[in-house]
Amino acid sequence: MKTDLIDVIDSYAKTKPDDVVYHYNDQINTYLDLKHYSDALAKHLDEMRLPNNRPILVFGDKSFAMIATFLAVIKSGHSYIPVDVDSPDERLILINKIAQPVAVIAVDDLPVNLGEVPVISAPTLSDIFQQPVDYQVTHAVSDDQTFYIIFTSGTTGVPKGVEISYNNLLSFVTWIVGTDFNLPENLQMLQQPAYSFDLSVMSLYPTLFKGGTLHVLSKKMTDNFLVLFTALPTLSINVWVSTPSFINICLLEPSFNSTNYPQLKHFLFCGEELTTRTARMLKQKFPQAHIFNTYGPTESTVAITQVEITNEMINEFDRLPIGYIMPGMHARIIDDDGNPILDGSQGELQIFGTSVSHNGYINNPEKTKKVFSIIHGQNAYRTGDIAKIRQDGLIQYFGRRDFQVKMNGYRIELEDVAILVGKQKYVKQTAVVPKYNAQHQVSVLIAYIVPNENHFNSELELTAAIKRDLKESMMSYMIPQKIIYRKSLPLSKNGKIDIKSMINEANSQ
Amino acid sequence: MDDVKETVLSILKDLTGEDFSTKLDENLYDSALLDSMGTVQLLLDLQDKLGVEAPISEFNRSEWDTPAKIIAKVEATK
Repeated sequence: MKTDLIDVIDSYAKTKPDDVVYHYNDQINTYLDLKHYSDALAKHLDEMRLPNNRPILVFGDKSFAMIATFLAVIKSGHSYIPVDVDSPDERLILINKIAQPVAVIAVDDLPVNLGEVPVISAPTLSDIFQQPVDYQVTHAVSDDQTFYIIFTSGTTGVPKGVEISYNNLLSFVTWIVGTDFNLPENLQMLQQPAYSFDLSVMSLYPTLFKGGTLHVLSKKMTDNFLVLFTALPTLSINVWVSTPSFINICLLEPSFNSTNYPQLKHFLFCGEELTTRTARMLKQKFPQAHIFNTYGPTESTVAITQVEITNEMINEFDRLPIGYIMPGMHARIIDDDGNPILDGSQGELQIFGTSVSHNGYINNPEKTKKVFSIIHGQNAYRTGDIAKIRQDGLIQYFGRRDFQVKMNGYRIELEDVAILVGKQKYVKQTAVVPKYNAQHQVSVLIAYIVPNENHFNSELELTAAIKRDLKESMMSYMIPQKIIYRKSLPLSKNGKIDIKSMINEANSQ
Repeated sequence: MDDVKETVLSILKDLTGEDFSTKLDENLYDSALLDSMGTVQLLLDLQDKLGVEAPISEFNRSEWDTPAKIIAKVEATK
């Protein structure tokens, strides 16, 4: 029999209605709440008679209303685009313009007017959730229909929205709850990132599918470490999912160890490179725990490789391997012309199979064609990551072939940042480069800037003014920490700014 | 004692690309050179390389905002 994700999640409203599905600050919601809320909103969406299987933009934070809204959108046969409350207005406007959603659901109040599109406001949404309805799921998203669309940064200052289908998601969820990870039956998972970040999917759907509980880190907790470390030990989390950057914060808290978290036996990391140092320090605090490194681009549904990190690996590798490819997926190494490299040397990682997006980037055929293709009848994606595949299938990662970087788990296109910095009124010309630390992580972004004439008395004042302006147009994690002023920038032979030479300069000690 | 100073300065250089040996009293946060994630990296380096345990929940930025203050803090825990 075919397993249906939505049917399984809904079934818990009958078999264990009072079990907690969502724990957010002091608020607790059950599987019965989840069904009531999502049924009521699905019915409302059906009555709006929106065009079939088109996207709906969902704007909000990490409250229970968010995930109830996602499920409702799916039940009504549409895909959802999660946009986080902390997004700058310009990004929200751009995503709305690119994706052309048929409706917007404001779980939190919209900061700007989005024009013609119908909007369900936050107060209306609360009213809808409270309506008792009798709803039959008859036309939920299925098969190759788009389930969610997550926007990443693009290279031209324009974000790209990756379309992930129901089948993509189902193959991912089946893998996470399967034998590769051997997670406990009663899943109590940490939900750390915002829903606009696809790492959130790693906790969300496996937990709902198994009828477990999501323990959500709110902004209130992550903004104040005292609140965070008072709350964390009380949450009875048994599976940890986060970026390595977030566990680094926890490693700084002496009380974060297996004595105070006896039920915590599994750690899953994704979103950026797991360094040997982080793995080593975590092993010291949780000697018995299973620590998994995973890897995958948003374009192939969260993650597609896994490996359990052992003490031997920590000693053997300078950079930890990203692991073995999941069932249903295939990996190969190609050269610059796209031809397979078979001798085990390094090149670009290309992946194909059940997890790769079929439609690619929404309303962006040009960018889609560049990286998506079909191999042996299966969807394929060129990752842009430099890797090597060992004889036994173990994949090692060595960095990017372009100017994309990961910083604190966020995917950043340096060209994207440079374009946005270049648009500021005090900036004549700019190049943005990463500074790597000894663990191969990007520790700061440096913007080399040729400034326009200005009235500021010092570079410090100018920097403060530029950073203030940047907050209006880009996510805070994209803003370069360091600005270095120059009279001119070096050019390469073809007359473009020579970014490679500047990266070398920024990283020469 | 000089070992501590050198290690702290090399950690800061690795993190920010900046040599602070002649700018020991420069504020690391005024210019936003260190942000919250940079602070985490800094404390992690201090713990890993110098064995300094600085509980993040008791962390007070104003006590750690210049290279000189960081060096003094580390020496005090030795």
